[in-house]
Parts: sequence; C-alpha cells; structure tokens
Amino acid sequence: MTNLPVRAALVVFVTAVMAIGAAYGATLWLGAAPAFAPWALAYGSGAAMAAVFALGATRAGKLSATLVVAFVLVFVVVSGSFALALGLPAAEGAGGPMLLGLPRRTAIVLYGVGVLPMFLLPLLYAFTFDRGILTEADIARVRAARRARVAAGAGDTSAGTDA
Amino acid sequence: MSDAMVTGLQVAALPLVRQPVIIGVALVYFAICAAIGVWAARRTRSARDFFVAGEGIGLWTLSLAAMAATLSGFAFIGGPGLVYSIGTAAVFLVLPASLTNTMGAWVLAKRMRLLGEARGLITVPDAIGARYRSPAAQGLSAVSILVAAVGYMATNILALGLVVDAIFGVGLSAGIWIGTAITLAYSVAGGIMAGVYTDVFQGAMMAVASTLVFVYALQAGGGMAATSRTLMAADPYFFGPWGTVGPITALSFFFVFGLGSLGQPHIAHKFYMLKDPQRLKWYPLLMTMALAIALLLYISVGLAMKGLVATGAMPALVRADDATPTFLLARVPVFIAALVFSGVAAAIMSTVNSFMSIGAAALTHDLPIAFGRRVDDELRWGRIWTVLLSLAAAAVALMSGTLVAFLGIFGYGLFASTLVPSLAIGLNWQGATREGAIASIGTGLVLTLVLETLGFMKRFSLPAGVTVSGLALVLSLLVFFGVSWLTRRRAAEQLDADIRLVMEV
Repeated sequence: MTNLPVRAALVVFVTAVMAIGAAYGATLWLGAAPAFAPWALAYGSGAAMAAVFALGATRAGKLSATLVVAFVLVFVVVSGSFALALGLPAAEGAGGPMLLGLPRRTAIVLYGVGVLPMFLLPLLYAFTFDRGILTEADIARVRAARRARVAAGAGDTSAGTDA
Repeated sequence: MSDAMVTGLQVAALPLVRQPVIIGVALVYFAICAAIGVWAARRTRSARDFFVAGEGIGLWTLSLAAMAATLSGFAFIGGPGLVYSIGTAAVFLVLPASLTNTMGAWVLAKRMRLLGEARGLITVPDAIGARYRSPAAQGLSAVSILVAAVGYMATNILALGLVVDAIFGVGLSAGIWIGTAITLAYSVAGGIMAGVYTDVFQGAMMAVASTLVFVYALQAGGGMAATSRTLMAADPYFFGPWGTVGPITALSFFFVFGLGSLGQPHIAHKFYMLKDPQRLKWYPLLMTMALAIALLLYISVGLAMKGLVATGAMPALVRADDATPTFLLARVPVFIAALVFSGVAAAIMSTVNSFMSIGAAALTHDLPIAFGRRVDDELRWGRIWTVLLSLAAAAVALMSGTLVAFLGIFGYGLFASTLVPSLAIGLNWQGATREGAIASIGTGLVLTLVLETLGFMKRFSLPAGVTVSGLALVLSLLVFFGVSWLTRRRAAEQLDADIRLVMEV
C-alpha cells in the first residue's frame, strides 16, 4: 500500500521530472531554449531533490513534521536561489553590486545552494539518526529476517527468478 | 557544451613538470600505495574481502574512500580548466555536492547497508536483483555498469599516463603502462580492501593539496573580493551566476550531477563495506566536508588564473587544461606543487581502482547469476577479470585518444540513467516493478549509447543546454514510472519479505 508521504513525494518528483522534460523537449523542438526552460529547470531540480529527500526519509509510511519542513526548505532555498538569480537584473560588469566578496547574483547561488545546505543537512541527518533513521532494533529485525531466511533454506545473496 | 567537456576527459598532453622534488614526492607516493597494497593483500582471503573489504571498514575510511573515488583527475586538471573556460557554470558540476551526500545517505546508504546485512550482497546489481527478484534486471544493470566502467577506466588510465609522463618524462605509452601496473598491482593483490585504504591515503593527500593551493589561489588574486572585481571588469558573463554558457546549461549540470549522483555504483557499492551500520550517522557530514575541501582547488585555480590573465600578470593559456599545471609551476612552492601532481595521480588511481572492482564484480558475480550460474572461486576469477579488464582498458587508452574520448563521454550519464530509477527510487518505492526497472535500464542504456554514438559521428547534435545525460535521465525516469504504473498489480508479489523490511525501516 502506497502511503501518503511516499505518494506525495512521488507526485512532486514525477511533476518535477516532467517539467524538466518539457524544458528539454521544447528546446529540442524549437532548436533553442524557450523562456520558460530555465525556470522549469530551476524549480524542477529543487523540487526533484526535495522529493527524493522525502522519499528516502520516509520510515514505515511516516515522515516527521520536522523533516517535512526541512525538505520544503531545501526546495525553497535551492529553487529560490536559482529563481532569484534568474529574476534579478544582470549587473555583473565593472562596479556591479557585490555580496560577501562575490557578484550579487553569483553569491546568491553559490552561498544559497552551495554553502547553506552543506552544513545544515548533514547535521539534520545526524541529529535525527538515532530516533528516525536507523536504530539498534531495526538492525536486529533485519538480522532476524536473515536468520529466518537462511533457516528456511532460501539461501543468501540476490536474485530469485524472473518467472 | 558537450558531455565530453564535463566528464573529465583528459586526452591531451600536460606540460612537462619534471623536477627533482616533484619526482621524489611521486616516487614516495607510489611506494606508499604499493606498501598499502601488500598489507591489504595479506588480509584478502575471500571474495567478500576482495569485493566489499570484508564488510569491515570504519566511518572515516568510508568517507575518505568515497570522496577519493568520487573525484577523478578531472577535479584537479579538467575542472579548473573548465572553470577557466566557462566561469561559474563549471561550478554547477560540483555545486550539488552540498546536497547529494546527505541525499545519498537517506536514499541509498542505509538501504544498501541493510541489504548487505539481510542478504550478504556484494554488488550494486545484486541489490537490483534482490529488490525485484530479477536476475534479468541484475544482468542488465551489470551490462550497463560494465560498459561505463570500461569507458571510465580507459579515460582515467590515459589521464594517468599523461600525468606519469608529465612528472617523469617517460613518454605516453610508458606512462600508461607504469600507471596501469601500479594500480593493477595493489588492486589485484588486495582488491577493494587495498583500494579503500589507498583511497584513505589518497583522499587525505588530495584534501591537503587542495587546501594549500586554495590559499595560494586566493593570494594570487588579492583575495576573493579583488578577484571578483577583476573578473567582473574583464567579462561580466564569466563570473555571473551562469558563467558564459547561460542558465539552461548551468542548471542542466546541476540536475544531472545532482540527481545522477544517486546512480554512481562505485559510491553506492562502498556502503556495503561499512562495519557498523549505525556509524552512518556522521557519514554525510564527513563526506560533505571532505569533498568540499578537496574541491577548493577545482573552484579557485580556474578563477585565479583567469584573473591573472585578465590583469596581464600571466599570458593567456593556450589550452584551458593547462590552468592547474601553469598556476602550480608559477605561483606555488615546488613541494606543494609536487603534492598536487601526486594528488592528481592519486585521484585518478582511486577512481580506476573502484571501476576495476565493480567491473570485475559484474563479470565474476552478476552476469553469471543473470544466466543462472555461480562461479566457484569468485576470488580467483575476480583477480583474473581485474587483470583482463585493466589490460583491455589500457590497450584502448593506447590505441586511440578519440576512441577513449568517446568511451569516457557517457560514463556518468549511463550510470545515472540506468541506476537512479531502478536502484535509488526502486529501493524507496514499493510500487516499482521489475518490468519498470528493466524498461528503464534498457531505455537509459540504449538512449545513451545511440545518442552519444550519433553525436560522436557528427550525425546528430543537441541544442545548447540539452545534454544526452540529462535527456536520458529524464526519459528513463519517466519510463520507470510509466511501466511500473502499468504493471502495478505485480509490484507486491515481486517483493520478498526481508527486502520489504529493509525498505520500511
């Protein structure tokens, strides 16, 4: 049975991939990127990644509110940074506006997408690990399943048949 | 912008850097690799040791080995050259690294490690075979891994030959054979066990070299703000958010290298090796920090060189790939330059070793299973296939730079389009079906090979911003979802109880 967080993540993911596919398709059809293509990639990439995060973090059909908020923020930060860079006027010539040592729009992308998640996401993962990612009990259940499988003579390793 | 420019191809000679200190450091480096190989060989007694390091490595080893395997010589040579050529857009290849390691931990690391626990799996196609109860899916994914691995190996062996030639001045052919022989020696003797422990040494070396060069690159431009002002005055597009290639190309890089990171088997394979699954807790932090440090050189040297050229402090480069060697020889103390040149060899060798391992595993383990057979002595055959694959890749590297360029083009994209749907999504969605997995792997394999071949033969070209890798990834994902939806009634019956458990915890 497909559960709600997984279903929601899949809907977002497929929609995002279709948006990126539409951008590629329109570019192929027209021979050059239409105006919407960069926006589709900006929003599609962020949404696809946020959805994959949610898909991976869903546990026994549940996704904690903290993680939902975190993954929405992933989308907001990633796609928002790209969208700001697309939307702000280009002013990278001599004397153009700077932010923290970089041209302003470049800084928004590099600090927003490159630096901010670099620290926050690994820490979020570590701080939710013991309660919501992998517990001793989980590992014990998996090891018990292996013992049961071997006892039943099902053997080790990978594949059964394609029949 | 072609795929060739972004996949780490190094097919042209590097400037000769033969100096006593550089040669001395390189010799010490190769000797340490050999010593680690001897040490690991004594501990390699089974196929499990050879292919998954006996499931006995620690967190730091995993993180540094994964970092070293992720970065090929491209991070030190081709990457800075690409930054020098197209500016900020080249950073979009590595920008997703802020997200991908944590994403990989959530999506793949736990599930792969638990699959190893539940079934004793040793390869990535093993996981696909177990997930869908399908030797056919396992075999097809092994074929795609084998095709891409040989291409990657040939490309990296050629690059290694160029680096050895640049350091020792022995000529390209001898450079290729020397580089292959050293990598092969420790890989055959100690398998992935030798690989991961040399990776730790190599990864640490890459991180140190990158950090030191970053400091010199900042100094060369007078600091980040001064470098920015110089670059902005010289070319407003170069240091704009999308570089000189525009937003759709830059964002395509982000999409392919972001989502595609989940389909890289040489990284996913390493999750089996971790001794204690609960040590995964700090893996994303360690891996992300290690990768960020090692990538400082990638970003800074190309920008610094562009700034130095813009101010007239250095002449314009004849070839963009000369950015790193030229900067090191002109602006960095020779001992640090020596560390970087050995670091380049380290980056290439760690990548080659990983591909030797997964290629040999595909031939020794996965393809026989796909045909309903098991190899009796997987350790011996693993070693034999490692030698044969490496010799084949070295021969390809020697024969034709053009052929190598072609083979190297599609590795990343082929992995992404064949493994992201079936492995990364499939391990997290119980509705995925065997038919969807097989169809998506086939789609990724055929599309990538056909479009790259047509492109290579100049029969077909994609408009700016659309890459074969991106297109194949999108289409294989849509095929995966479409076929899984059409065959959804079979999803539940294709999932064994223990695999379902691994997917639910």
